[in-house]
Amino acid sequence: MAEHKVLLAGTDERDLTQLAEYRAIGGYRGVDKARAMTPDALIEELQQANLRGRGGAGFPMGRKASLIDRKSPKPKYLVVNADESEPGAFKDREVMAKAPHRLIEGCLIAAHAIESTDVFIYIRGEYLAEYEILAAAVEEAREAGLFGDVRITVHRGAGAYICGEETALLESLEGKRGQPRPRPPFPPIQGLYMAPTQINNVCTIATVPAILELGAEEFAKTGVPSSPGTAIFSISGNVVQPGNYELDLGTPMRELIYEHAGGIAGGRELKAVIPGGSSVPALTPDQIDVPLDYDSLGAIGTFFGAASLIVVDDRCCMVQLAIRSTKFYAHESCGKCTPCRVGTRWMVQILESIENGTATHADLELLDSVGDNILGKVLCALGEFAVYPVASYLHKWRDEFVAHIEQGGCPFGNSSSLDGILAPSDMHAHTPAGEEALV
Amino acid sequence: MSTELVRVTIDERDVHVPKGTGIVETALAAGVEIPVFCYEPRLGAPVGACRMCLVEVEGMPKLQTGCTLTAQDGMVVKTARTSEKAAGGERATLEFILVNHPLDCPVCDKGGECPLQDLTFRYGPGNTRMSFDKLTFEKPIPISPTISLDRERCILCYRCTRFSESVSEDGQLVAANRGALSVITTFEDLPYTGAFTGNVTELCPVGALLPTQYRFEGRPWEIVEVPTVCGLCPVGCNIHATVREGKVKRILSRNHPEIDEGWICDKGRFAYTHLRAEDRLAQPLQRLRRHGLEQVSWEQAIDEAERLFRAARGRIVTVLSGSETVEQAYALGKLLRVGLDSHQATLPEEISGGLDAYRLPLSSIRSADVVVVLGDVPVAERAPVVDLWIRSARRNGARILDDANDPAVAEAERVVLIWSGPGGRGSTTVAKLAEKLGLAEREGCGAFYLPETPNGRGVADAWAACCDEEGGPIDSIGLLVVSGDEAAADENVRALAEQAEATIVLSMFGGLSAGWADLVLPGTSYLERDGTFVNLEGRLQRLRRTVTPPCPDELEWIAELAARFDVDVAPYAAAVFAEVSERVYGGLAFGEVGERAPLRGYPEAQEHVAREALPEPRGKPRRRSEVRLVAYKPLFSGAAVERVTELQFQRPQPELELSPEDAQRRKIATGDLVTVGSNGSAITLPARVNRHLRAGIARVALEHANGLQGIVELAKAEEVTA
Amino acid sequence: MTTFYDEVQELRARYPEGSRSAVLPALRLAQERHGWLSREALEETADALEVTPAFCYSIATFYDMLHLEPVGRHTIDVCTNLPCALCGAQEVVEAFESELGIRAGETTPDGEVTLRAVECLGGCGYATVVAVNDRYRQHVRPETVPEILGELDGGT
Ligand SMILES: Cc1cc2nc3c(=O)[nH]c(=O)nc-3n(C[C@H](O)[C@H](O)[C@H](O)COP(=O)(O)O)c2cc1C
Ligand code: SF4
Ligand code: FES
Repeated sequence: MAEHKVLLAGTDERDLTQLAEYRAIGGYRGVDKARAMTPDALIEELQQANLRGRGGAGFPMGRKASLIDRKSPKPKYLVVNADESEPGAFKDREVMAKAPHRLIEGCLIAAHAIESTDVFIYIRGEYLAEYEILAAAVEEAREAGLFGDVRITVHRGAGAYICGEETALLESLEGKRGQPRPRPPFPPIQGLYMAPTQINNVCTIATVPAILELGAEEFAKTGVPSSPGTAIFSISGNVVQPGNYELDLGTPMRELIYEHAGGIAGGRELKAVIPGGSSVPALTPDQIDVPLDYDSLGAIGTFFGAASLIVVDDRCCMVQLAIRSTKFYAHESCGKCTPCRVGTRWMVQILESIENGTATHADLELLDSVGDNILGKVLCALGEFAVYPVASYLHKWRDEFVAHIEQGGCPFGNSSSLDGILAPSDMHAHTPAGEEALV
Repeated sequence: MSTELVRVTIDERDVHVPKGTGIVETALAAGVEIPVFCYEPRLGAPVGACRMCLVEVEGMPKLQTGCTLTAQDGMVVKTARTSEKAAGGERATLEFILVNHPLDCPVCDKGGECPLQDLTFRYGPGNTRMSFDKLTFEKPIPISPTISLDRERCILCYRCTRFSESVSEDGQLVAANRGALSVITTFEDLPYTGAFTGNVTELCPVGALLPTQYRFEGRPWEIVEVPTVCGLCPVGCNIHATVREGKVKRILSRNHPEIDEGWICDKGRFAYTHLRAEDRLAQPLQRLRRHGLEQVSWEQAIDEAERLFRAARGRIVTVLSGSETVEQAYALGKLLRVGLDSHQATLPEEISGGLDAYRLPLSSIRSADVVVVLGDVPVAERAPVVDLWIRSARRNGARILDDANDPAVAEAERVVLIWSGPGGRGSTTVAKLAEKLGLAEREGCGAFYLPETPNGRGVADAWAACCDEEGGPIDSIGLLVVSGDEAAADENVRALAEQAEATIVLSMFGGLSAGWADLVLPGTSYLERDGTFVNLEGRLQRLRRTVTPPCPDELEWIAELAARFDVDVAPYAAAVFAEVSERVYGGLAFGEVGERAPLRGYPEAQEHVAREALPEPRGKPRRRSEVRLVAYKPLFSGAAVERVTELQFQRPQPELELSPEDAQRRKIATGDLVTVGSNGSAITLPARVNRHLRAGIARVALEHANGLQGIVELAKAEEVTA
Repeated sequence: MTTFYDEVQELRARYPEGSRSAVLPALRLAQERHGWLSREALEETADALEVTPAFCYSIATFYDMLHLEPVGRHTIDVCTNLPCALCGAQEVVEAFESELGIRAGETTPDGEVTLRAVECLGGCGYATVVAVNDRYRQHVRPETVPEILGELDGGT
């Protein structure tokens, strides 16, 4: 089945970064439609469409809007989460680079729904080119008088994965260290500057214009009933044609990997698929006949996550995979809550002892137990994101872990595709105190 | 928080608490302890960082942090005591906290009074599963001369940084880095400076932030905590003195919710070592012929005092410091007034009962709508903790104004006036204002005067009450009795001594009296006295003798001398107080003053002694080149502070504060040298532009003012020299 | 020309009164001016934002893109996170290391180039991704490394 472009519709034929081009294909008509409706009616429409959040949690976007405390005397805020930092994910980036006006149109519609005149787009600092394109598009649309009394501010992050977590994002946007807040209170009640706030992922918001174009009813018919619409799937790793593919939700994973992405590169064997970005449990080759949607993936014990598949071939040592993955989450741990701050570092130490052959069988149990002690005890999910994949490697590729212990080292010798891979945390920390801490 | 009661079940026990009560408090009400580290309600909203308080809540799949939950009707909570799941969470968190914690408890000053130690003892794992390298840091490092930081012991509960950010609002103690490398630090290792830094040593739940003075000074089982009241400023914070082997080793706060909420200033916390100052006097000194002062026995000193008193009967003038206890002032007054017909005494500031009608507990500042702070002496320099109440009022949305005529004052419901010098006439001035605004009967309204003396009011009342006669004016000073270190340090008083035929000085320190006294009688510190103080709220509080002084208590020898003049003065505080109380405190018994004294009303405002108060700097600058120079007495100054080396870094820089307006007009930037002067005398100092200073005002610490006050010419230094 | 102070006031005006939201833009601006966030840079920023230097330091140390030590005139950030790693990012790092004669995390002695391994840059489908002075180069392979270095003006 071919790609079904909704968020990226028209991007092959035209330069949709130009306002005129976007309007030529009917761009911004959704805003007029929306503004002709009452906020309540609009929210009703969005709820009907049953658009599920593309940022990871899959929470229905319309439901979220309905939770906004619109009676509050405070201003209401719409915040777009463009911090896309999950390893494996690069879909939001393509939307902002190729169809910025679709995102902006979505913002204007969503803002009308929650009666907000203040929109912030928090874009990760590394996305410089995308920032420039988006900022220019915002400027062009504003000058064209499309905003009415709405103000859209594009705010750049500065390099911290945790700022993708919605409450950490709010803290960062408020000028603080990007550390998550305890919930409740939830953002729709008390979010940015203590005011009611709607937070959505780039792709979620960029899908909203399609809902107004098709009408909720029609939109709900696309994709699969439990998850309507399309998603941009980022696929990377050991495939022939990695990249972004916009497909209906429910498309079989095998089709994405073997048809769209051209199968495993270099004639190697498929070993593992991490389907939602590096933070979710991995699947074995016999598990890939699964529809790509929230519930189907949930049913086999993993997550839809960021719709980002990392494909791993048979050259890769799963312990090295676990080490590199955990080093990332340890490096990105914000340091606020104890289990994540301490547990992720401890996990790295255990995994390295397994890799270098100094571990015992008891250390496998320890690794498991440290993981369990993080799960469900942390302030936000980052700590759990470190555990989910590693736990799946340990259980699904247990023989490989055991082999490390029994052979007193890595069974791959130096031939693993991740052999000797360097992580930023292997380099340096910010302060002398930090540097000492590394020894 | 509403007053609606809700039912919450904790570990099968039902309690009824106001809706919105924290679950930690709710559990306590049910007699259940939920262990916490980061939770500390005085620091603002809970942060849920340490995860020590995990509990199971019916209807919620995941464990929840008790500290971030509030009581809702019908809520069913299971703590680790009744829920295996919660117990698992508790064990997990405790293990994680201990993974990097060093095992140096035996040499840790926190040992024995450490929440982490206690919780580990009760719920912790017996062994460790951590077989890898722990995080290591250089330790301990001084974050100031008074506080040491041990980063290995730090459990990153962020109590200290939250205090710095949202209580003292100094923004100096912060967290740096991310994840496992997170550390507590100051900027560029600059010392943590400010009026309140020491509080973080009490907030820290482990041995990471500790008072350096207390390092290796005592183990919990060797010490006693004696409850008393701080005597170094008019706030009268409630404190504990940690005493070991007859020595004060440490000062801790002793939360009085209406006065200090458990915060004390660094002077009150760290200045106690003045008790052991090098020039501390134990023996009397007497001027023998013209040789200067020599040590003499107490018998000889008392005889000499008696001789000087007799010689000057009726012509004795007393200079009080306002730091005497009520009892000392009364006893001395009775001796001199009843026994020697010498009634004239002076205090460094005018004291009046004018504000008695506008009394409020300090804590009520927090709930004010408008706080008007008058006068240009920084509140923290005069009455530090009051500054914290004002800050919390601002955080609660109160407007802080410097002008009582602001329309907002008239509109506001709850108005609080605060007078912060300069000059000693505050109480009268504020009283007038308060009357004009009609604050007397209004709920939540009141007025405060921040005196210069810790117990001026109590001393004035006692002196007034000790005798019914009134003395007429005297032509010459036969004997000048200088009571207390503040008086002894006062230039004007020394000038007065020139005119006196003889001078007796009562002082703790030789350094203050050398040279100009004829007889020096060693004094005691507020930490060594039994008696009472009256703070700036007008609250009568109880001082306790935490350690025995190196010299006899004042009351002992005053009583002995009094006897020689047939005056009956009891040698101990309780009895003296009983007498004062009859006349001033409505017969309240010494024992009833209370450990956490309530704010009581006075039956009848007394008539008061007063020295001609320091002239209140009047008049607005006339010429554009002029400003009004405010020379204030810094918090970190005075006889006690001068004798504590660790506190010297806290003393104000030699610099002149300017308003942005005055700076701009003269093209002065922070750091530029400026000169201020009036008729002849002038000082040149680096300028600091202070956005919060009013135009036309310049401010400098007294010790750098070189006697300058009031209207002065201000100019950039070059211009003058050129 | 407008002063740093004025520019920061301009940034502050974009956010609600009394918020500290301008701190990241302001720190980025200071870094552009000074090359890195030196003590002076942090003090200057704190003054313009009316916060303490300690606060600015605390924020700066939280974010990877803000430098608290000097960096070279050019920065080369090689993504070594899983997707790029699976496609040979390590060889790319090593190619840069040998071309520049430094190890990742170091700056060339002449202060020209700083080489770093960084976490996922969000270009996983186009491995290996390298940010050269914050501009992405994609599909980088060891062979393309000399070319990239050559393009740096006054490159080493
Ligand atoms: C550690 C962590 C990182 C996250 N990163 C992102 C991110 O980069 N982008 C994003 O849209 N959501 C991210 N999320 C999810 C957000 O918290 C939030 O659920 C989402 O932005 C809501 O938008 P949606 O409802 O449209 O999905 C992250 C969550 C966690 C716990
Ligand atoms: S130093 Fe003490 S108070 Fe501060 S974060 Fe560490 S443990 Fe908490
Ligand atoms: S006490 Fe609740 S998380 Fe720290």
